Amino acid sequence: MNYHKYYPLDVVNGEGTRCVLFVSGCAHKCVGCHNASTIKPDSGHPYTLELEEQILKDLGDTRIHRDGLSLSGGDPLFPSNLNDVGRLVRRAKEMYPEKDIWMWTGYELEELSKAQLAVVKYVDVLIDGRFVMAERNLSLAWRGSANQRILRRTEGML
Amino acid sequence: MTDIIKRDGSRQRFDESRIVKAVACAMNDAGLRDDDFARSVAEQIRHAFNGQGTVDIYDLQAKVENVMMRSRYKDAARCYIEFRRERDIERESRNSLNKEILGIINQDNEQILNENANKDSKIIPTQRDLLAGVVARHYARQHILPRHVAQAHDRGEIHYHDLDYSPFFPMFNCMLIDVKGMLDNGFKMGNAEIEEPRSILTATAITAQIIAQVSSHIYGGTSINEIDRIHAPYVRKTYEKHRAQGMRWIGDEEKAEAYALEMTEKDCFDAYQALEYEINTLHTANGQTPFVTFGFGLGTSWEERLVQTSILKNRIRGLGRNKKTPIFPKLVFGIRKGVNLDKEDPNYDIKQLALECASKRMYPDILNYDKLVEVTGSFKTPMGCRSFLGIYEEKGELIHDGRNNLGVVSLNLPRIALESTDETSFYKLLDERLVVAKDALMSRIQRLDNVTASVAPILYVEGACGVRLKPTDKISEVFKNGRASISLGYIGIHETINALFGNEEHIYDSEELKRKGVEIVAYLRKAVESWKRETGYGFSLYSTPSESLCDRFCRLDEKEYGVVEGVTDKGYYTNSFHLDVQKNATPYDKVDFEMDYPPHASGGFICYGEFPNMQRNIKALENVWDYTYDKVPYYGTNTPIDSCYKCGYEGEFEATARGFECPSCQNRDSTKMSVTRRVCGYLGQPNSRPFIKGKQEEVTRRVKHL
Repeated sequence: MNYHKYYPLDVVNGEGTRCVLFVSGCAHKCVGCHNASTIKPDSGHPYTLELEEQILKDLGDTRIHRDGLSLSGGDPLFPSNLNDVGRLVRRAKEMYPEKDIWMWTGYELEELSKAQLAVVKYVDVLIDGRFVMAERNLSLAWRGSANQRILRRTEGML
Repeated sequence: MTDIIKRDGSRQRFDESRIVKAVACAMNDAGLRDDDFARSVAEQIRHAFNGQGTVDIYDLQAKVENVMMRSRYKDAARCYIEFRRERDIERESRNSLNKEILGIINQDNEQILNENANKDSKIIPTQRDLLAGVVARHYARQHILPRHVAQAHDRGEIHYHDLDYSPFFPMFNCMLIDVKGMLDNGFKMGNAEIEEPRSILTATAITAQIIAQVSSHIYGGTSINEIDRIHAPYVRKTYEKHRAQGMRWIGDEEKAEAYALEMTEKDCFDAYQALEYEINTLHTANGQTPFVTFGFGLGTSWEERLVQTSILKNRIRGLGRNKKTPIFPKLVFGIRKGVNLDKEDPNYDIKQLALECASKRMYPDILNYDKLVEVTGSFKTPMGCRSFLGIYEEKGELIHDGRNNLGVVSLNLPRIALESTDETSFYKLLDERLVVAKDALMSRIQRLDNVTASVAPILYVEGACGVRLKPTDKISEVFKNGRASISLGYIGIHETINALFGNEEHIYDSEELKRKGVEIVAYLRKAVESWKRETGYGFSLYSTPSESLCDRFCRLDEKEYGVVEGVTDKGYYTNSFHLDVQKNATPYDKVDFEMDYPPHASGGFICYGEFPNMQRNIKALENVWDYTYDKVPYYGTNTPIDSCYKCGYEGEFEATARGFECPSCQNRDSTKMSVTRRVCGYLGQPNSRPFIKGKQEEVTRRVKHL
């Protein structure tokens, strides 16, 4: 898997103070994509175990509290990302069960494959659905178009 | 016949007798007698210019000086030169006074017009205030300030703040009004005798009146310390009144109490709404909306909690039809472990409301109880935007309300660094400047000697200063023994370090340079401590906000030293000890960088960070607030809260050369938008009242810390 950017400290991609990883590769190619440069799976830099260790370390930082990990992109559920993303969310959840994991995907929950669902089971909040220009609304929380949904495990939606 | 061209360009016939008179005067001043000498000088001058059609007055005077210097009466020559120079200075200063006055009439002197972002210089009362300021400043510089102090001020080595008011008028800077003492004991204001209020609506109405009066008699900010504690008794009275009414009409106790509760909540909300409107519509004798600060948040009684929520809910709602963000009063919310810091604390819900309010309206800023006590000795609201009193006791009891600050004189630290060759010479020069600064501050104190309480009855006779003097009593005792503070200010630690050590390495990235910065401030603190011991006055070290000063010092230094990279090249100097606004750092790291300074500069400080829109992420804002709790005493969060009345956009407007612009609909009509920025400790609305150039530059360069 390749990734574009890793922000060890972020407050605009999910609730609270978070670590955010933007991965490469996306199958949807929505018109008006916010992160079009991340669509190609071979764009960005190779994701390494070293980076994974860094992310897990940042999540556990005792100086600056992190509420959780956010995965965006690209699409974290792009087939060739499942391996690395799956390992990352599993390890994060095992190490920090009290922290939440947010994920943005262009797929809808109902169309996810078994392999994708196996990753999503570690996710607490899933923002799903393609970006649809006609439904674009800048005042929406955490999403770009009105068709996208915020699915929370705590509300039984995942 | 020769004509003389005078300074104003007009011509006058050459008149020998005027030279005779001037030389005779000089002889007289030097204690010499030689009646023929004056005439012989005049004759030589006539010969020298004979045949020339016109002679410039300066050439003529130079010739007189030369002739006299060549004579045997060298002392007389010196007297003549000295006299001419004094006349030149006087003439020049008369001109500058005229120029400044013209600048107000023609509305083209931006230095004066935009010096204070809170003054609307387009309207007549403000222009009257500015005019009075120009004259007061001029007179004070010439006739009240010690000569070396006036010179140091003019050269920009020090800044004698608020010269437009003090020392011409015997005024002081900012204060904590003793509202409780005034309400409890009653007072006279204008023609009215005010008794203790019987409801929260009356209490807030009277509070507004007090604020209006007090802020016309002082030139800095007026603060109310713990307004929830002060107003709580009137919430109780309101409740009792409604309960009695409920019993009379309903009869049933339970129902009467429910009725009283609802009515009191409504009254309280209305009372603070009225107070907020009152303050925002006030126009003091100083030509501005008063700088008012409300401190609150630590009370846990039902009444105090109701005051807190009423203030916050009003602020969240906004002012008027467009729900505009009010910039007054400044709100300062106290946070304390066991009261509202943690989830299990009784007022945690009000902290959440305060967070929501900060995300939408920028205020409140927060006071972290434990850290504030550690740094300043006790908990209290800042006077104005950032001036903090030290501890002071009367009869074994800590007193805050009714105390004040006598004024500030700031040092231009970058200038000292520019003038120095190394650290040793920096500290040597700093020592010299400190002597001047102390003399300047003492002149502020001396101005209040022999002044009687009658100059400001509201302060000294009716209780705002916590005392009830007779009109004929002298006021000076009120300020002694640390009851009042008087502050040495400083500016531009960032530029000072660059000037001293070069700007290859940023102070933020170097432990060594960081230590050097703190050392300078610690050194200043030591100086004020020794002045305190020596004089008994409450000298304190204050981190100057430098609203207009950031521009003035830099401009003067650029003139003198040219564009020095990392020092004079930005058009402004950085606020006190603050991290360079262009440095990319997380708010957490910025707090860590700045946290070492307030313990030294305990007479005045504030820290703040630049955030993106946090309205949807209160939790992240709370994380930052909580982080500051045991690190800095006083913290503010700057978030983009601009709004467009045309398209409804909410977020951050862009500062363009043609004014502020809505990023969504490109609206640039300043009457159809609300733009709010932190000026220093206070907020300002630069779309309607522009900041001074250097400050605007600084604001534009601020980078987000997340």
